[in-house]
Amino acid sequence: MTIEAEMTMTKAAPARTGRGRTGWRVAALLAAPGALWMTAFLVVPIAMMVYVSFWTQKTFTIEPVLTLQNWASFFGTSTYLSALWTTVRIWLIVLATTLALGYPVALYIGLFVRNKTIQTILLVVCVVPFWTSFLIRILAWRPMLGTEGAVNILLMKLGVIAEPIGGLLFTELSVVIGMTQIYVVFMVGPIAFMLSRIEPSLIEAARDLGAGTGRIFRTVILPLSLPGVIVGAIFVSVMVLGEFATAAALSGRKVNMLGNIIVTQVGSLKWAFAAVVGVILTVVMGVVIAGLLRLVDLRKEL
Amino acid sequence: MTLLLELSGIAKSYAGAAALADLSLAVGAGEYISILGPSGSGKSTMLRVIAGFETPDAGDVRLEGRSILAMPAHERGIGFVFQGFALFPHMSVADNVGFGLRNRSRSPVTDEAEIRRRVAEALELLGLTGLGARAVSQVSGGQKQRVALARTLVADPKIVLLDEPLGALDANLRERMMIELKRIQSQLGGTFLHVTGNEQEALAMGGRVAVLDQGRIAQISPPQTLYNQPGSVRVARFLNCYNIFQGTVGDGAFRFTDAALPLPGAAAAGAAAYCIRADKVTVAEGEEPAGPGEAGIAGRFIAGEYSGARVTYLFDVAGSRPVEVEYHLSHRRPRSFEAGRRYALRWPAADALVFPG
Repeated sequence: MTIEAEMTMTKAAPARTGRGRTGWRVAALLAAPGALWMTAFLVVPIAMMVYVSFWTQKTFTIEPVLTLQNWASFFGTSTYLSALWTTVRIWLIVLATTLALGYPVALYIGLFVRNKTIQTILLVVCVVPFWTSFLIRILAWRPMLGTEGAVNILLMKLGVIAEPIGGLLFTELSVVIGMTQIYVVFMVGPIAFMLSRIEPSLIEAARDLGAGTGRIFRTVILPLSLPGVIVGAIFVSVMVLGEFATAAALSGRKVNMLGNIIVTQVGSLKWAFAAVVGVILTVVMGVVIAGLLRLVDLRKEL
Repeated sequence: MTLLLELSGIAKSYAGAAALADLSLAVGAGEYISILGPSGSGKSTMLRVIAGFETPDAGDVRLEGRSILAMPAHERGIGFVFQGFALFPHMSVADNVGFGLRNRSRSPVTDEAEIRRRVAEALELLGLTGLGARAVSQVSGGQKQRVALARTLVADPKIVLLDEPLGALDANLRERMMIELKRIQSQLGGTFLHVTGNEQEALAMGGRVAVLDQGRIAQISPPQTLYNQPGSVRVARFLNCYNIFQGTVGDGAFRFTDAALPLPGAAAAGAAAYCIRADKVTVAEGEEPAGPGEAGIAGRFIAGEYSGARVTYLFDVAGSRPVEVEYHLSHRRPRSFEAGRRYALRWPAADALVFPG
């Protein structure tokens, strides 16, 4: 029997309980590749990571003898705890800056530009920086932000400042600036998409009913764009929480995020300890994403 | 009747193409005016200018005697019912209806109990009682239309503009909604401006019907007058119930190809259009000559179309588009004709209309 014939059969008898045995077989067959893939490359590695985090760490090796030592040393060392706090702090700041910068851009592209072609062109322009490598994009901030960098030279030429500002580069600020520039586009895209789906007549209707611009934004535009904000926030969160390269390149190794700890530990063959940090990072991301998804029912909105 | 809304000399063009050209219209308080126009006649633009969504290039819009051109749309107090309803998808039916009361910049209602009371009243007026808590995606197309109306009417607007309000409904629902709209308007005593591309709807709804053509009002009259005496050949064409022949007036008759039709009255010589309503035409056998006071022409039968209360027969006439003959079955018996055979089409000469041009 062909798949099509089975599909029509199942459609024809929707009232019967279940789909019948052939229906289940087709469903299982269709789901199998995905399930296998996810098991092999997601479930097993995560289980492995959790398992390894309890192994015993020797100087250059790890042994499958279960211990809580790695976990105790993570929560007992202020360096690691402060890395956790730095990660959360930078994530929150970058989330706020990408939203603050990205929303107006998305508002312009999605709502004020009504021509689909121009909308597409503008969104493509947003991703033009991605045509160069990630590292070049980050390292380009060094000659921009340094004590004798472009920003300082410009501000001095304009007479805004007399002395160059020293704290621009190799600080948390430079990390935030770099991350904001790289990730803001992931905020712009989903928000602009949601905004572009708002019928112009909805805004006209709100205006006709007597609402001023601020009211219309608060009661119509913002709620309708919220799913885009949540999707953008998930993109940015996942990428920023796992970041290490921007922090390494723009902070002069002064700002350590969880990602940086993992890189260092793996570099010195401390696999078990790296696994602990990995588990903590995964849990943090899980909590963040679950929290964001609770704010909006994406299945209903998209 | 006091003058409520007055448009004078409105012009509006988009990228050089004129949508409205020197349009003037006076609307009295309590009137129901339907505006009939084909697509592209500028009828939506006209409503958008009144509501304040578009600024005209020239002319003035006065409401209660004062120009409102400088007033932003949200301060005009004009109700607009959109063709696609434009309901807020993230709000319940009741929140949609209460939106204006709650969020308007001029004297918003802050008392929630008052909002609830007025929303309930509006829902009752539209027969939507009990649906307030539903999401707008959970109500039918006809109910959406009613929600859109309730949302506009609850704020007690000075004038209600309806932009093809029945266009998105199926025929059955459309008829019911037409009756409903009439009832609501007479119950509230408000002023309604109803734009449509459907001549039946325009004639049925309007206390006066304005025909919009090429960005200006071609004619505005009560429906009976408009139907019986269209003021120009273009208006006759929009009404979609006239047979129109193009020819010339000369020697006391209207001539086209080799036919000569007696004139209903005095007409200037030269190019002219001759109009006769489809339900005035009768069909006689063969080549019988027309009687006194009658005009006639020969036509070859093409086909008949039965639609319940009436039958429309199509005849091929040399030098013209197919001529329609309408038999209303309440006072004429249906006939059967032989396809391809020639019949004599007749009508009272005095019922025809002749326009120059």
